[in-house]
Amino acid sequence: MSFAFRLGVSALALSIAAGSAFAQDDDFWAKAGEKFQGVTLRGVTEATPPSNYISDVLAPEFEEKTGIRVEIETTSWDQMYDKAIKDMEAGTGIYDMVYIEQDIVYAYLARNFLVDVTKSLADNPDLKAPGFDEAAFTTFADYFRGENGDLYGIPMEAFIKIYLYRTDLFNDPEVQAAFKEATGNELKPATTHEEYTQIAEFFTKWGEDHDMDLWGTTAQAHTGHPASWYEYVETVAPTFGVYGWGIDPDNNYAATVENGGTMNSDKAKAALKWWLHMRDIAPPESVQSTWTEVATTFAAGRAAQGLVYGENAAWIASDDSKSRVVGNVGVALPPLEDGVMAEAEAGDGYIGYYDGGAFGLPVTSKNQDAALLFLQYIGQESVQPGWAVAAPRITHTATYDDPGVQEMNDELGGYYDMLREDGKLFAGAPPYPFHAQLREAIAPIFYDILTGKIDPDSGLDQMAEKTEQELTDLGYRQ
Amino acid sequence: MHSNKLGWLLLAPTLLVLFFFGVLPFIYVVYVSFHQWNPFAVNPDMVFNWAENYRRVVFDTQFLASLGVTAAFVFFAVISELILGYLLAQAFMKDFPGKAIFRTIHTLPLIMAPIIVGSIWKLMTTPSIGIIPNLLDSWFGYDLNIGQSAIAAFITTVVMDIWHWTPLVTLTLIAALVSLPPDPFEQAQIDGANKRQIFWHITLPMIRPAILATVFIRLMDALRTVDEVLMLTGGGPGSATRYVGVHIFKEVFPRTNYGYGSAISVIVLYLTIVVCWLLYVGLIAPRNKKG
Repeated sequence: MSFAFRLGVSALALSIAAGSAFAQDDDFWAKAGEKFQGVTLRGVTEATPPSNYISDVLAPEFEEKTGIRVEIETTSWDQMYDKAIKDMEAGTGIYDMVYIEQDIVYAYLARNFLVDVTKSLADNPDLKAPGFDEAAFTTFADYFRGENGDLYGIPMEAFIKIYLYRTDLFNDPEVQAAFKEATGNELKPATTHEEYTQIAEFFTKWGEDHDMDLWGTTAQAHTGHPASWYEYVETVAPTFGVYGWGIDPDNNYAATVENGGTMNSDKAKAALKWWLHMRDIAPPESVQSTWTEVATTFAAGRAAQGLVYGENAAWIASDDSKSRVVGNVGVALPPLEDGVMAEAEAGDGYIGYYDGGAFGLPVTSKNQDAALLFLQYIGQESVQPGWAVAAPRITHTATYDDPGVQEMNDELGGYYDMLREDGKLFAGAPPYPFHAQLREAIAPIFYDILTGKIDPDSGLDQMAEKTEQELTDLGYRQ
Repeated sequence: MHSNKLGWLLLAPTLLVLFFFGVLPFIYVVYVSFHQWNPFAVNPDMVFNWAENYRRVVFDTQFLASLGVTAAFVFFAVISELILGYLLAQAFMKDFPGKAIFRTIHTLPLIMAPIIVGSIWKLMTTPSIGIIPNLLDSWFGYDLNIGQSAIAAFITTVVMDIWHWTPLVTLTLIAALVSLPPDPFEQAQIDGANKRQIFWHITLPMIRPAILATVFIRLMDALRTVDEVLMLTGGGPGSATRYVGVHIFKEVFPRTNYGYGSAISVIVLYLTIVVCWLLYVGLIAPRNKKG
């Protein structure tokens, strides 16, 4: 029997097996949906590329297979939280699915807002979909497990905040020569803050000298939106060795250096000053930029490099209807201070933000069984590759090896490889149940630092003191 | 007696709606304002704390600062809308080519949701990308950056409010001007009064009730401005446009500081009533007394 013949027979057998599995799956969804005819599931989520895929692709597919209607409301980040929390707090039961960003899950779990998905499926085996397997998720799913180890949210997006740079500029011999002449160094993606600063300053000047709309870096530095605060505490500060927002939860939630925290430490102050300098040489719109506008700025070709949420990497790199830098995007790890990588590798720190979210089922939902079906539908391994290509997020280990994902990986300059191999060096938000409360208490001081009303050193001192006061008021700090 | 009963019967649905959707929530807000209540605190329950929230309000520098910028915002916005609205109303009293189209276009902002208005202005004012900074830069060499300059951000929010709400003032004043009897004006012209005298001594006193009603409505609206400012500046840069409505929103929703936020809401309501009462006493009551 020739190799080609054996290969053909194997392929045929696999196709028949896969076809039969899909048919089995379709039977399950059709049968499971029978008792929920007339039910409409409502979900609320942030308008991001992964959420849009749920709304545009997965929800219609689910509707077709089960007959259960699904309405997904995609809205702004603030509105999403506002609506979800008010609904769960008041117990109105408007939403059957809510988006849970990784940093808010601890608050939701503390308030018992969410249904234990693992337990619910164990208690109702007839609802368990054949294609859904908790073990198929990457370790990112652990962020959505309760103390009992059960899953309280189905991961639907997971990505790292990466260092994007323009390969067309970095590989341009004229630019390389000018950079070498100006700095004495070779032009390559920065690994340290010093290198990053040198590149940023060079390109901002290059843009000025050549009358181009080009600057050396992006900055998520909105002066009235928490996005700026997030960029500092979750993206920049860790690269200087300040972790967990500078709060020590094992030391009575201390934030000030005096009490054992690091929010106003020398490292934190250096981090903030470095970032403010980057903000000053970034495009002018940076002072009004949240995470969305930063991606848009980079896609418009206005920045030579920047720290951008990975969820935007795919469209920036490949969608020429939205991006001017298609085919010219490189990815790298964020620039670091000495010692930070060693701490991250040892598990004592991290080098950047591992962001993501899950879809959870509120205990107040009036259609919990039908919602469990939908959550399993979006959590199946079979729907992941198409989703990962449309929006660069990976929640299942097997998705990395899919040919379509591999192809996209090449287009993205190896982003998925980085996510798989170096994802462990990044971390989500610290497990604080007072996330938004603390942020809103200290953000006004942070905004005053951004506008120059307060200098960075005394601003961070004030933020650390205010943090301890707020945590005392909330009862976390004794 | 019979007609009295019928009157109450007819009023009952309205009163019920008012009670359930107006009075009851207000009583609840007052009740909450006497409690410490943050559902994300270690103790998520409501804890009665007497008037502690009200004591805190008095010493809350952020709240006092937001009151200050709100007062300035209300003053500049309402005065400008009134003057511009009156001039436009007078213009619409005359016939000119394209009047119908211009009046329709002029009224369009009024039918837009505040969040849309905020989005439009955000797109128009984004530094170096928006059309307004580009035009200001090319015409006057002025670098408009509402993410950095507190004054620029404040003025932009005022202009946005004027753009959004002037049509309301115009329409109200057109209605008032149209309803004025011609006799006093003809008499004044016969007596030799000039335009300025006619305006001060006849037009203004006769449309004063309409002006005051408009001022009251706009004053109360401007005091609770949230959506469009939140969308445009987020209350920034820093706290430059953190008007009381925005301040309350941030306290109550993201920060879930329900007790304290309720206390601020009650105080702001009280201040709004006081301001309106002062306006009434200062402008309407003396006139009634004279009459």
